[in-house]
Amino acid sequence: MLTHLLKKEFLVELRSKEISASMLTFGLAVILIFSFSINVSPAVFHQFAPGLYWIMVLFIADLGLHRMFSHEKEFDTFSMIISAPFDRGLIFLSKWLAGTAFLIIAELLITVPFFLFLQLDIPVQWGKLIGIIILGNAGIMAIGSIVSGLAMRAKMSEVLLPILLFPLVSPNIIACVKATTAIFDNQLFAAWQTWFQLMVTFTVVFGLAGYLFFDYITEE
Amino acid sequence: MLIPNNKIRVGYAIMILLMVANLLNILLNSPMIPKQEWAQKIFYYHVPSAWVAFLSFFVVLVAGIIFLKTYNYYWDRVGLAAAEIGTLFTILVLITGPIWASAAWGKAWNWEPRLTTTLILFLIYIGYFMLREFGGAPERVARYSAILGIIAFIDVPIIFMSVRFWAPEVQSHPQVEMGTQPAGIMSTFFFSLFTFTVMYFGMLWLRTRILNLKAENQ
Repeated sequence: MLTHLLKKEFLVELRSKEISASMLTFGLAVILIFSFSINVSPAVFHQFAPGLYWIMVLFIADLGLHRMFSHEKEFDTFSMIISAPFDRGLIFLSKWLAGTAFLIIAELLITVPFFLFLQLDIPVQWGKLIGIIILGNAGIMAIGSIVSGLAMRAKMSEVLLPILLFPLVSPNIIACVKATTAIFDNQLFAAWQTWFQLMVTFTVVFGLAGYLFFDYITEE
Repeated sequence: MLIPNNKIRVGYAIMILLMVANLLNILLNSPMIPKQEWAQKIFYYHVPSAWVAFLSFFVVLVAGIIFLKTYNYYWDRVGLAAAEIGTLFTILVLITGPIWASAAWGKAWNWEPRLTTTLILFLIYIGYFMLREFGGAPERVARYSAILGIIAFIDVPIIFMSVRFWAPEVQSHPQVEMGTQPAGIMSTFFFSLFTFTVMYFGMLWLRTRILNLKAENQ
């Protein structure tokens, strides 16, 4: 069943390109504002870069999550999905996995201009950086999909989503920024192992919580 | 029926007496700590406020779980009452913390893990009340708030750990050192903690009662 749901998410996105297009262009706009508003030497920027990167990711994730769920609301497709006879936790899993995938796709295209425009050197451990980014995205999208489910049908859902999401996701953002900073400074894994563990914990805990609670969220 | 009956009057009287006794006990009966003098006294309010806030959010968690199991709206109202009182006490923590810090450390805010966790929880609960306000149908709002209350509480240890590792150079909370202080301090502190806890359950009971009466009249 999960594959069907995932196929549906990707097919909708492939046809409309709403989520990735909005995330991508918004991400580029944010990079532009960063480079204009923080006009310092590349060496100093190097220190800010991990924080700025994750601010940008959080912004575009918020935007993507909102598009992903408001799409369901606009066409009232959600009530049709939940009328299908399967575990509703799978709806959460499909949203989570698809959301993470869309975020990664958008980042593939944003990370290059981020390094280019902000004149940053590519870190030596770029493989680990990619791993951390993917894990961080999964964490953000896990709690993000739960919160989107809660905020989706509310008035002012576009305001409610970041208001709920940002404080809830803060431990994951701290861990992401710390781990990314360590990779930028070419530190050994042992030095930022704690942050990696924290990210894994966060992702697993809220992935499970989402799977368990989505039943109550989708109930009519 | 919002006119207090005799039971409530007695309850109020006990609460007021306890609070006055607590205040006098703190002001007159507890020993001064060298270097901190009067600034330290705020701890008899600060720490119990934090305790009550976290206890209250724990009550939100429990009420949320019971509500999702039973769909009994009484537990939704208990959760709402606990969330309101918890948020009130996080505000008290966030006010009393910087007052003490500016006297003791010379700056009002540093990212002390407990204080930071309280701040993040406060922000989450602002969102909680917005969800309550704008969530739409009452049945759905009750369900969503229960889930949010549970998720917020799951997040607390993760937030606390992350903030603690994030700024390890920040001094630890003086509460930890209180165990090594003279006996007069501990007895005053525990009396204050007791008073605040009694007051908390009194407030929770009254607030739930008001919400129940409101629900009956609708």
